[in-house]
Order: sequence, then C-alpha cells, then structure tokens
Amino acid sequence: MKLKRYLTLTRAGIIESLQFRLSAFIMVLGNLLYLIVVYFLWRSIYDSAGTDAVGGMTFTDTLIYLVLATALFGFMEMYAVWEIGRSIQSGQIVLDLLKPIPYRRYLFWSYSGSFVTQFCFTFLPTFLVVALVTHGAIHFGLNLLFFVVSVVLAVSINYSIDFLVGTICLYTESIWGINIMKQVIVLLLSGATIPLAFFPAALRQVVNCLPFASIYNAPLTLLLEPRPEPRMVLETLGMQLLWAVVMNILSKGFWRISLRQITVNGG
Amino acid sequence: MTPIIEIKHITKEFRVLNRREGLRGSLQDLFSRNYKIVRAVDDISMEIGQGEIVGYLGPNGAGKSTTIKMMTGVLEPTSGEILVAGSVPYRSRTKNAGQIGVVFGQRSQLWWALPLIESFRLLKDIYCIPDAAYQEMLDFYRSLMDIEPLLHKPVRQMSLGQRTLSDILAAFLHDPKIVFLDEPTIGLDVAMKARIRTLIHALNREKHTTVILTTHDMGDVDALCRRIVIIDKGRMLYDNDITHLRGFFGAYRTLKVRMDGDLAAQAAVIRKELPDCSVTADEEWISVLVNEEQARVLDVLALLQKTHDIRDMQLQEISTEEVIKKIYEEGVQ
Repeated sequence: MKLKRYLTLTRAGIIESLQFRLSAFIMVLGNLLYLIVVYFLWRSIYDSAGTDAVGGMTFTDTLIYLVLATALFGFMEMYAVWEIGRSIQSGQIVLDLLKPIPYRRYLFWSYSGSFVTQFCFTFLPTFLVVALVTHGAIHFGLNLLFFVVSVVLAVSINYSIDFLVGTICLYTESIWGINIMKQVIVLLLSGATIPLAFFPAALRQVVNCLPFASIYNAPLTLLLEPRPEPRMVLETLGMQLLWAVVMNILSKGFWRISLRQITVNGG
Repeated sequence: MTPIIEIKHITKEFRVLNRREGLRGSLQDLFSRNYKIVRAVDDISMEIGQGEIVGYLGPNGAGKSTTIKMMTGVLEPTSGEILVAGSVPYRSRTKNAGQIGVVFGQRSQLWWALPLIESFRLLKDIYCIPDAAYQEMLDFYRSLMDIEPLLHKPVRQMSLGQRTLSDILAAFLHDPKIVFLDEPTIGLDVAMKARIRTLIHALNREKHTTVILTTHDMGDVDALCRRIVIIDKGRMLYDNDITHLRGFFGAYRTLKVRMDGDLAAQAAVIRKELPDCSVTADEEWISVLVNEEQARVLDVLALLQKTHDIRDMQLQEISTEEVIKKIYEEGVQ
C-alpha cells in the first residue's frame, strides 16, 4: 500500500474544505446555537431535579461532556451516507468505481482531509475554551493520549457504520429517510445527545452490547476521567478495537455482496 | 495485431420490476415479485486492436452505455466473455482501472472546487504516475494546446467546453491503453467540438491509445473514426469501415434545391409528387434523398423544374449522418 496515493486525497480534502470559508463560519455559529439550547435545557433539568448530581454527573460534568460530544460530532460526522446515496442516484459512482483504488478506501481518504480541518477548526478551539473556562475540570495527562487513540478507533467504527448504511442506498435508491434514521440511532445510542450515564440500567445493558457507545461515549469517558484505571482503559479500547474490526468486516462484506447486485442507472 | 479488447457473445439482462399505475398499483408494487427480464445487450462480439478509434453508435437506449460499463468492469455480463488488456474487467476492476480512462460527457471526474492542476496532481498520485512521465505528458499537452489558463482555474468556474477538454486531458493523463469517451462533445459549440476532435486525434496518434467513442454527432465520427460499430436494441447491426458503410447506401444522393416562398409548405407538395423519396426542408434548402436505383437524380430535378421555380441547386453524396439515420430507422438488410 502506497501511503502517498491516500495522503494526496487528504491533502486535496484540506484544500477543498478551506475553499468554503463561509460554510465553516456558519457551522461554528450553528454549533454555538445548539450549545446554548443544550445549556438551558440541562440547566432546567438540574434545577427541577433539585439535587447537585443526576445519574452520578454534576451539571458541569454533563455540560462539558455534551459540549465536547458536539465538537466531536462536528468532525466525525462525514455524511458518507449522503455521499454514497447521491452518487448512486446521479450515476457519478461509476467514475469513482473506475478509480484504481477500492471505493471504500477511496471515499474514506477523500473525507480524511475534512477530519483534519474540522479537528483544527472546531474540536480543538472548543476543547481549549472548555478547558480554560472550567479551570482544570479537564485533566492534562495520559488521558489525552488515550483519547486520541480512542478517537481514531471511533472514526473507523463510525465510517464502517456510515458505509454500511450507505450501501443500503444501492437497494432503496433513496437516501433521506435512511440517513435520518441512522443519525438518530447513532447519536442517541452512542451517548452524543444524552450521556449514557443517564440511561436506565436495562437500556445501558443493551447499549453496551452495541457498537455505538464506542463512537462517542468511549473517547469522551477516556478524556474526562482524571485518574483512569488501567483496566478500564484497556477494556474500553479493547472493546473499540473489537468493534472496529467487526464493523469493518461487516461493511466490507456487505459492500462486496451489494456491488455484485449493482445496476447503475444510466442511458 | 493482437486485440486489446476481445468480446465474445456477451449478453446483459436486467431484472426490472413491472410497475403498476396509480396509487393502488404503487401500493401493490411494494409487495410485488412480478419481474420482467430486459435484455439490454444481446449477443455482441467484437475485437478491437491497440490504437484504433472505434465509433460506437446507436440510438438512445440501444445498449451502448451498458456495453461500455461491461468493458470497464462496472457491470458483469450475464453471459459471454470479455477480455480487456488481457484481464477480465469485472473480476479485476480496480486493477483494470489503471489501464483505462473514461470521460462521460455529462459527468466530471475532476475535483470541482479545486484548480485543474490540483486534480492533475491528485490523479498523478492516485494512478502512481512517475514524475518524469507526468511532466512529459504535461509538456505534450502544452504542445497540443494552451493549457495554462485552464490549469489554474477552479473546475466549477469553467465553461462546459473547458471542463470537457479538462476531463479528456485528465482521462489520458496516466497514459492508459484504452480511453472510453461517452458523448464527449454533447452540448458544445462548433469551435469547441473541433478543438476536442483535434485533441483526441492527436492523443490517439501520439500515444497509440485505443479510443472507444460513443456519440450522436456524426461530425465526431467523420473526423475521428475509421471503424464504426452500430447497435440497436442490444443487437449488433454493423461493424466495419466507415467507407464501407457509405458504399452500403452508395446509391443514395441528396438533391438540394432552393426556391422562393415558404419552404416547408413546398416541401409538403414535393413529398406528394415524389412518394419514393424522403424530403426535408430547413431554412435555406429543400433536401430530397434520391435512391438512384429507383430514379435518376436528373429526372427528379427535371420533374421538380416543371412544377416549381428553382433558384439554385446542389448535389450531395449521402452523409454519414443520413446513412446512420437510415440504419436506425430501417436496419441493415
């Protein structure tokens, strides 16, 4: 595998995403609005609960968690379902299939550039602001390293799920509903909208058996835990690795089977 | 000459759901298993040599794109064999991709937000083109046309013609053995069409690239192809030299006459007088297609002169366009 042919796609992605300055600003603004809503929503939840901690988390804990989850979402969400669906509908996929790089890899690396820019422009600033504002609520130590490893695995799992769902578009030839469904399920069950700590015990049991928690909950837990126990870190990362491998095999297999069925529409 | 593309009796069938009409029908369709088989390509065989330019023609929906998709490996034939540059395209699509280039007239493989040179750099890395070969290719392009203004322009700001030129250059960049051009001149003005034809011709001559060209523009065919293949309803109608094709209908000539007044109305009158000939009118001329085996052109002219006031006339050998039109309409006997 020649890394250069993939890194060149990353490079193009970075240049490409820098072309759209306005859309980057609007995205930051949109995230800000969302965070304001989140703040007041949880403020009132905590006020009405009447206690300092709900589900073992204080208001500040929850807020830090959700702000970082939003920032994480900003750079991990790759809209691969849209991309695959759209290129199937328009027939553009033919051109991508005729690249000398397997489609699944090609699409991932085409996106990798926007990971880099999004990470620098949304996640990093948000993270630093949160760290400054909360005066040391975030520990700077080994947990940062664990977090980075965990995010890499999370990106891989997230991509596999996206690709798997995108492949379904080959059969349905429609995108919208499938995409929304995927988004809602992933965001809810991964702990991106509500921390998993708030889930009822029974539901948490179920969620723990699914890959979604490995996408948002795992990296955030590793990041926010001031003194992580080695066993917990290994378990979390191990679980993520397992899911990354499983989802990778599943999405690759499903794609391979589906590609045989492909009937590209076109004159 | 060993063929670069070998196709033996390929057939492609699609399974299509029989759709019913109306709301009720649509609801029933949700659970329907009522499929019909559509045969898009039916028993086509051909061999194409390295360096040939083949015009691949046929009316809309004839199965041209389906055949091309099978040659590129995007579709797998239902039966029959294809070999492209020695390998089976649908089994080794990704490997095959390095040996072919494609241009689909209505789509672009370029990165639309980036200047063209960035797309070239990307393709260079993706196709693992060595530096020297890449530079040589760019120099060759520079010798063919002035590419500098294109190189630094973002693709999305290009006109359709510029974009098509760029797409063609991009398809040839990795010096592929075969390039598939699917309606490359669609929607372009006359001058741009001519530039594109010159470009394709030069690339084919210098790099000895095999070109498979589908088009509806007979100007492309006349300018580029020595050999043409015509298919309709999935079946092969014709595969031979273009000169041979003209010989097929050599007995036909077109008589063009100019007269005063409303040409369309007069054409209608002439159509009644000459039921054996096909008569068409444009803004300047009335064209009468005469089959010399049935009637001599001079007799037709004499007949017309009796009843109409002819101001001017021209005699034309039949054009490729008309031959193709006749083949589409009537088939080859």
